[in-house]
Amino acid sequence: MEIGIILFPLISFLVVGLFGRKLGDLPSAIITVLGSFFAFLLSIPASIKALSSPFSVPLYEFISLGNYTLTLGLYFDPLSSLTASLVCLIATLIFIYSIGYMQNLFGQWTYKFYAYLSFFLFSMLMIVLSDNLLGMFFGWEGVGLASYLLIGYFHQQKYATNSAFEAFVMNRIGDWLYLFGIFAVFYLFGSLNLLEIFEKVDAVDPKLLGLAVLLLFGGAVGKSGQFPLHTWLPNAMAGPTPVSALLHSSTMVAAGVYMVARLYPIFESAPQSLKVVAVIGGLTALFASLSATSHTDIKKIIAFSTMSQLGLMFLALGIGDKSSAMFHLTTHAFFKALLFLSAGSIIHAFHHHVHEIYEVGGLKKYMPITYATFFVGALALAGIFPFSGFWSKDLIIGSAYEVSFGLGVFVSFVSFLTAYYIFREGFVMFYGEERHREHFEEEPKESPSIMLIPMLILAIGSLVVGFFEGWYVGVLGDKKEIHLDIAISSVVIALAGIGLAYLVFVKRVLDPEKLYQSLKPMHTTFKEQFFTEKLYHKILAGGYMLYSKVLYTVGERQLIDGLVNGSYLMAGFLGRVFRNLQQGRVNLYLLFLSVGLSGLVLLTLLWR
Amino acid sequence: MMQWLAFLFFGSLAILSALGVVLFSNVVYVILSLLSTLVMVAGVFFVAGAELVGALQLLIYAVAIAVFYILVLTAVPWEKALKKDSHYRVEGVLTFPIVLAFYLEIILVFLLGVSVSPKGEIREYIKSLGNTEVVGSVLFSKYFFAFELVSLVLLVGMIGAVIIGRKEEKTYEDGSP
Amino acid sequence: MKMVPLEAYLILSIILFGLGVFGMIVRRNLVTILMSAELALNAVNIAFVGADAYLGLADGQIFALFIIALAAVEAAVGLGIIVAIFRLRKVESSDELTDMRG
Repeated sequence: MEIGIILFPLISFLVVGLFGRKLGDLPSAIITVLGSFFAFLLSIPASIKALSSPFSVPLYEFISLGNYTLTLGLYFDPLSSLTASLVCLIATLIFIYSIGYMQNLFGQWTYKFYAYLSFFLFSMLMIVLSDNLLGMFFGWEGVGLASYLLIGYFHQQKYATNSAFEAFVMNRIGDWLYLFGIFAVFYLFGSLNLLEIFEKVDAVDPKLLGLAVLLLFGGAVGKSGQFPLHTWLPNAMAGPTPVSALLHSSTMVAAGVYMVARLYPIFESAPQSLKVVAVIGGLTALFASLSATSHTDIKKIIAFSTMSQLGLMFLALGIGDKSSAMFHLTTHAFFKALLFLSAGSIIHAFHHHVHEIYEVGGLKKYMPITYATFFVGALALAGIFPFSGFWSKDLIIGSAYEVSFGLGVFVSFVSFLTAYYIFREGFVMFYGEERHREHFEEEPKESPSIMLIPMLILAIGSLVVGFFEGWYVGVLGDKKEIHLDIAISSVVIALAGIGLAYLVFVKRVLDPEKLYQSLKPMHTTFKEQFFTEKLYHKILAGGYMLYSKVLYTVGERQLIDGLVNGSYLMAGFLGRVFRNLQQGRVNLYLLFLSVGLSGLVLLTLLWR
Repeated sequence: MMQWLAFLFFGSLAILSALGVVLFSNVVYVILSLLSTLVMVAGVFFVAGAELVGALQLLIYAVAIAVFYILVLTAVPWEKALKKDSHYRVEGVLTFPIVLAFYLEIILVFLLGVSVSPKGEIREYIKSLGNTEVVGSVLFSKYFFAFELVSLVLLVGMIGAVIIGRKEEKTYEDGSP
Repeated sequence: MKMVPLEAYLILSIILFGLGVFGMIVRRNLVTILMSAELALNAVNIAFVGADAYLGLADGQIFALFIIALAAVEAAVGLGIIVAIFRLRKVESSDELTDMRG
């Protein structure tokens, strides 16, 4: 019965993919929604069963290699089943939303979009529920492929296709490292099955284990957009907003965090590698939030905030706190999807023509529900009591302070910046002068209810999920307590960030434009992501293109074409030479006769 | 000694005449050179002691065949040939080394082949009977079949030459004979 | 009396034969080509007779007889062909005769 969880999305993918053209776009969308909804329904009893006793569902054995057989199977324990339910729920809500968002594209083969979404859901569930590394890798690759297909969905725009390509290539680099990690794990443990690996963790060579762990983490770096494989994530916003909400905020990029949490027993046995995880996570968190303060694209700011929050999750994993990282992942899924959906609502209201926060303004009175949901999400992201973000972020800050005071200050600084930039975006878009009048004729209306209902559900989730903190952490096998002083200080810091944004952007205490001009170098550095993107494009991509060009002009043009052209020139030349054999003149025939004769005689002589 | 001198005389004149055959531009000179060559070759035959062959050479070649050539060259109305059109220069230059190589090879072949033949069976007969009778007796016993065949070939050639060489019949304007 | 050695006959024969072949290739007029062919045939005759003189056999002379007879036939037929060509095409040299383009 539990197999239905992955079977429903798979079936809806196949049905929509094969028959979507005949079915039409709206029926395809409904089939997709039903697929994910049924998966969600089936995941609930599976979770309930798994909470008390984890169980495995072996599915299929496919290749038998000597003394090890490659299998496919599902494993349900609290971690995987709760995450699976989360993924299915968010997916269902976003699918419903997308019916409204993609409305004006229906009739243009939008069934492909839904097929890709179902495929993505199936692959994501494979990652979450698989009981061995091979199935996880299959899902890993599948979500990478789905990401490429969906980012490049508007394939007529060059920017979208380039971003899809960049995403896929960077993912691939991560996947390559991940694959080597799997090889190392198999070499060490002789098996890819998670349970068998967990049993044997202490019995293997720690240095090699540390290397394997680092390689596996490399895969997570690529998948979750951490430094240094991060430049694809902001550019992935070229895809439609439901894609950004589902893949690049709640689920796919969270797969990296999930993978580390899933394989945590291995990671714990290699403490040096955990330090690397923490360093990269922290670095990305800071760097992404600095970049977010300087960007002005509506979705990119939220994308950077995703990168930063994922960095915080990796930081938490690195300092040894699996449960707070996973809980933050859960709450983050809710409020980040909510933020994206609200941004998508704004974009939809302007018929998909806006991209920058400075193109709109004063939307508070035109789109009140969107305003409310956006600010719910923003408050949750900033970590204000009693929203869910407060609970999860507080756990992380608490763990940080336990490790060292400096680390705690660091995480607090990152949350200050988080509060600042998200409220900057909110205040610019919803308050202030109505800049959109300069560009658009008609007034923005509130979005249709098919889009608003999922947003409201997510808003409720962002509010309420935080209260399950104790239960969640307990289920995962940990015990945490909230320190009151840390809680109060984190709220104060978040309020300070909000207050700064309010003062600058609403009250205009400091004029934002003048401030921007005076701090231009700093802003530009942040905006260009500390020039990493430029670096990658110029040096790595540019170098490769140069190499290709050289190979083309030398290898292809000169050598290969030269050979091919040369062969026809040679054939013509030889033809001209041999043509002389048959001139029709007796004299020449005689000449050739005599040449042949002397040749034969010579041969006979030599043979003697 | 006498033999040797006669051989040298006839041989060198034969070579000179052959050069004339190859190199002259005027066709009539070529025919005359050919005639001279044939006579010299007959002389070489006599020096070698083959009287019958030498006599037949003179009769057939130097008389009949030379007359053929002269007939064709003068009775058929060729156009006036220019001096410089008479040879292919380029091919000549190309052929020269090949012919030279051929010479060397043939010399080698002869020297290798001659040494393995039987020798001296009928010298006594020649001394007693004279050359012609000896040739005749060998011809009509050992090579009788070949002799008959050659006469057949002669017959066929005669008929063929007549057919090829005669004028076509007149045809009417519309192509019927 | 000193006999003429075999090699002398052979050398003479080869020289004449080479000249004959050379003439066949070099000469332009059809009739002169045939005349060079006669020259080559005669050279072969000399070779036969010379070998005969050295070896004391009669076979070479018989073969030389056959060659003379056949050469006569060949000259007749060849000249007949040349006359026919001339009647038909009004050409007299081998390069004008050919229809193939280089």
